[in-house]
Amino acid sequence: MALVEIRKLTKQFRKGDEVITPLQEVHLEIERGDFVSLMGASGSGKSTLLNAISGIDRPSSGEIVVNGTDITKMSRGQLADWRAANIGYIFQMHNLIPVLTAYENIELPLLLLPMSSAERRKRVEIALDAVNLRDRANHYPRQLSGGQEQRVGIARSIVANPTIIVGDEPTGDLDSTTTDQILDLIQRLNSELGMTLLLVTHDPRVAALAARQIRLENGKLIEKGREVVVVGGEFQGRRAL
Amino acid sequence: MFKFAPYVVKSLWRHRSRTLLTVNGSAVALFVFCFVGSVQQGLARLTEDQQAQRTLIVFQENRFCPASSKLPEDYAGTVAKMNGVKGVVPIKVFTNNCRASLDVVVFNGMPPKKLRSARQLTLLSGDWGQFDSRTDAAIVGQAVAQRRRLKVGERFTIGEVTVNIVGVFRSAVPAEDNYIYTHLDFLQRARGKNSVGTVTQLEVMLGEAADPDRLATEIDAQFKNGPVATSTRSKGVFQRDTLADLAELIGFAHWLGYACVGLVLALVATTTVMAVQDRIKEHAVLQTLGLRPGRIFRLVIAESILQSLAGGFLGIGAGLALLAWGGFAVGAEGVTIAFKPSLELAASGAFVSAIVGVLAGIIPGWQAARTEIVSALRYA
Repeated sequence: MALVEIRKLTKQFRKGDEVITPLQEVHLEIERGDFVSLMGASGSGKSTLLNAISGIDRPSSGEIVVNGTDITKMSRGQLADWRAANIGYIFQMHNLIPVLTAYENIELPLLLLPMSSAERRKRVEIALDAVNLRDRANHYPRQLSGGQEQRVGIARSIVANPTIIVGDEPTGDLDSTTTDQILDLIQRLNSELGMTLLLVTHDPRVAALAARQIRLENGKLIEKGREVVVVGGEFQGRRAL
Repeated sequence: MFKFAPYVVKSLWRHRSRTLLTVNGSAVALFVFCFVGSVQQGLARLTEDQQAQRTLIVFQENRFCPASSKLPEDYAGTVAKMNGVKGVVPIKVFTNNCRASLDVVVFNGMPPKKLRSARQLTLLSGDWGQFDSRTDAAIVGQAVAQRRRLKVGERFTIGEVTVNIVGVFRSAVPAEDNYIYTHLDFLQRARGKNSVGTVTQLEVMLGEAADPDRLATEIDAQFKNGPVATSTRSKGVFQRDTLADLAELIGFAHWLGYACVGLVLALVATTTVMAVQDRIKEHAVLQTLGLRPGRIFRLVIAESILQSLAGGFLGIGAGLALLAWGGFAVGAEGVTIAFKPSLELAASGAFVSAIVGVLAGIIPGWQAARTEIVSALRYA
């Protein structure tokens, strides 16, 4: 059984009189340890898919089963608890809490889990080491560069050891040198720590790092060299193009 | 919840000017709230005190100011013989101002021995021996001493009355801290007039079984056809009637207290709404990280309560300190209401602050908790 199973996922919303359907009966499976990149034109629905998988947006219909649990049936509160335990989210704009230090920002997700303060401290220190920012632990976001902020964001996303890490354009706000550093870090999360990653990106360099590269085109998910095949509403596997 | 305390405090400190202005506004409002509460407590103490219900005041009929009540002193002997009467104290009252005033000085002339048995006074400085031996001696309530900066050994003159201060006292009844006690015969002879044989009022202490209303009627009936007709009421009613105009104003002032509460509510709610609107995206991020909407709501409520309580404690502290050190009182016709700090006042102020904090945080807290994560992340 795949770690993430998406079945017949549809998302519709209204914009004035127009009904927009960015996702139409989408099917996708992500295995544990996969590194998946999701590309597509603006408005193709890639962020919508990412948000649905991470439980911050609700689909109009369909199922998202993560680790055997259908998250589309959860209440708002249950989804919040589920996110705390299962999702590490890397934002494009870092979105660190400005009044908290790097250490406190990284510690934030752990405050929601049953854990002693000693265990929290240990985990935050490991995460800080992983992103090579131990010496910036007590700095506030305004005292950090964009790349350092994003590294803190990545540390925050991994610190609770989530089931899956999702990133929405994680290098979209960075210069090319910093992007290289962040990409190297992201790749290590997958190759060295075996973390499952799903990244939305416009950047072919980011997509190229992923073992699986998926494009959203006209409501269809097309994996590099293969199309995700749906017959009669049932997922049938991937077909060579 | 306490794990997030640093976040709450730091969020408030982020906009420190706004927070401090709100805290100051709350402090001023709670300061006024304390003052209004203190005046109301002072009036309640005067009129509802148990001892005030078991003591009668005999005054000249149809007179309002102490200066216009002249009862024959020998009425005291007649009243003392009545069934149910435990004791009678003849009192001569002189005040510098019969109208409502914030700095009224009231002299009560009483026989020295009866003064000590009828009043629960503790001398803070000076001694009773000097008071007993000197006819122009006076002991001064601590509130008057504080207000007028009077000390033992000094002479004090007001109007045509000059006394030597031989003691400063604290009374079990806060209003009496605003009185100056002298010998009865001294005050009868003061002001260049010889009013020996007359007193302003009689204070009648009742026995356990005595019915105050029946005795009051009996006393007035006794002197109805005498040289001076009397009007007798319980001490509580007498004080309430004497201060009727002030009591009306004080009653109206409780609206001022409510206005203060409303002011704090509006102030804290406005600040909290602004703080929430500034942080729509931040709340969406927190929800993305896994904070439940209920927890976001409680964090906003905590911010609101902290601001309200900080202002409340400042205002209550300043108000109580000023009440303790200022020795404030308002008086009319020789009766005073003391403004005193009290634990009850502090507790009610803190309670009001906390409740206002909760109420002020409800709407912004609800707004923050209902933040739509995706649109807030995208557009906020």
